[in-house]
Amino acid sequence: MTHLDTVVPDAPTLPRKPRPALFTIATIAAAIALTIVTARSVDFSFGEIIGNLSRKNSVVEGLLNPDWGQIWSRRSRSAFIETLQLAVLGTATGATLALPLALWTTTFGNPNRWIRTVVRSFNNVNRAIPDLLWASLFVASVGIGALSGLLALFFFSLAVTTKLTSDTLDGIDMGPIEAANAAGASLPKMLRTAVVPQILPAYASFVLYNFELNLRASAVLGLVGAGGIGLRIEFFRGRGDWEALWGLVFMFFIVVFVVERLSVTLRRRLV
Amino acid sequence: MPAPPAGTVELPRRPLDVFRWVFGAGAVVLILWSLLRIDIKWSRLWDAPSDLWTIGTLMFGRMESGDIGKLSGAMWESIAIAWLGTIIAAVFAIPLSFLAAENLVGRPVAWVTRQVFNILRAVPEVILALAFIPLFGLTPMAGVMAIGVGSIGTLGKLFYEIHEGIKTGPLEAADAVGASRLQRMRWGVIPQVTPEMTSFLLYRFEVNIRASAVLGLVGAGGIGSDISQALLFKDWGTAGLGLIIVVVGTIIVDTISGAVRRRIVSGRQSATTTTEPELAITGGVLG
Repeated sequence: MTHLDTVVPDAPTLPRKPRPALFTIATIAAAIALTIVTARSVDFSFGEIIGNLSRKNSVVEGLLNPDWGQIWSRRSRSAFIETLQLAVLGTATGATLALPLALWTTTFGNPNRWIRTVVRSFNNVNRAIPDLLWASLFVASVGIGALSGLLALFFFSLAVTTKLTSDTLDGIDMGPIEAANAAGASLPKMLRTAVVPQILPAYASFVLYNFELNLRASAVLGLVGAGGIGLRIEFFRGRGDWEALWGLVFMFFIVVFVVERLSVTLRRRLV
Repeated sequence: MPAPPAGTVELPRRPLDVFRWVFGAGAVVLILWSLLRIDIKWSRLWDAPSDLWTIGTLMFGRMESGDIGKLSGAMWESIAIAWLGTIIAAVFAIPLSFLAAENLVGRPVAWVTRQVFNILRAVPEVILALAFIPLFGLTPMAGVMAIGVGSIGTLGKLFYEIHEGIKTGPLEAADAVGASRLQRMRWGVIPQVTPEMTSFLLYRFEVNIRASAVLGLVGAGGIGSDISQALLFKDWGTAGLGLIIVVVGTIIVDTISGAVRRRIVSGRQSATTTTEPELAITGGVLG
């Protein structure tokens, strides 16, 4: 019988700690170097940040007492309605056209390889251009006003919904398509009966999501002159009336929040 | 019951979907109302394609190679704004994100932290830029601050979702050997979340490059400022070249950053099989 208390186990030898990988060290070094270089090129200084933020200024004061009266102001309300209309029309036009455009990027929806490539390239370029840049371009070419905003939102919606829908199309069940083709359906009939029913719930939910994005986007479009509430924000900024500006922004949050809740509920119902 | 005539099959009636009809009718009403009430002269729409064509030919037909140096410098400034903004956001988002993960702290603390993220996420970066411009002037620092504050919310949200997905094994092991709270974090949580967090940080940097290019349009530095100046003074060639440089610059940084991200997530072996977050077009302005 062994006496347990006399057996002293050897201290386990710990395995050597592996050295950090070269890749990790290189990444960290590169990140630090990039931070230093970029900080130089924008004249970054903590002193400036602290100094500027602690100085008494009308922006923060306005934020602390926003002018809630903006909610009842008639002009703000009509700017708001324009924002809403822009979002509705931008979604209705852009997201509707996105469905055929997404179908045209697939092999089963578009047998012609060249057209497919052209449509895909168009989508890629369109996606690379941000909404505010579209708006600036349209303001410069078509002129100041809601039409430029609508055109910008049209291209923006086209980009968003086409991308989301074609991702969904990549994953659909090919069985119904084969069945429709075997039964001799024409291309439009095949798409109508075999493809669209499969993606319709997802597509409808993308359209709603796109509407939420458009509502937020249409608020800032006005800053470059493309109509909606942004014009009003720009107006208050020009006057330095930050109380009114923040009041307007808060009102915008409330509307966006309500619309998002509604939209999220509808989307759950759809999918 | 009489048998149906040969050759035809009686199809079952399609059930009436009330929700669908209400939804559809609501959408139609909303669209009609917008169409009729919006303050747009629709006749202008017919001129829009030709206007756009004219501007397009002016922009891309009159580019001068002498502008390349200046505009590339401005693009670099946009990249610098995006990088510093992302770093500032990370400094705040990383500690806060641990306080928002329900598996690491109590529910009330997590709830409060999440509300902070939600509020920050709701403010468009362009609005933040407007607010920082009076404080910092029309300088890149206004852009850095806007991107920095604007990214805290989104980064925080992405990060706490990573924390909530960690395996509980290492945490149990740390508890079993009597680790303190800090040691538990250091050895049980941090090693699990670091690769994914780094990857998301880089992803956010890519999104922020687009955002910082746009912020310039309202005056917060970077290449957007040059483009908006060029558009204002009808200096079409410069604006066109600026657009091309934005797209090319964005693609170059995306490629480098994307390669690093894939390497971080998948390790040295396969760099192709990982699922990477799709770069949101909207991420920049809308978070």
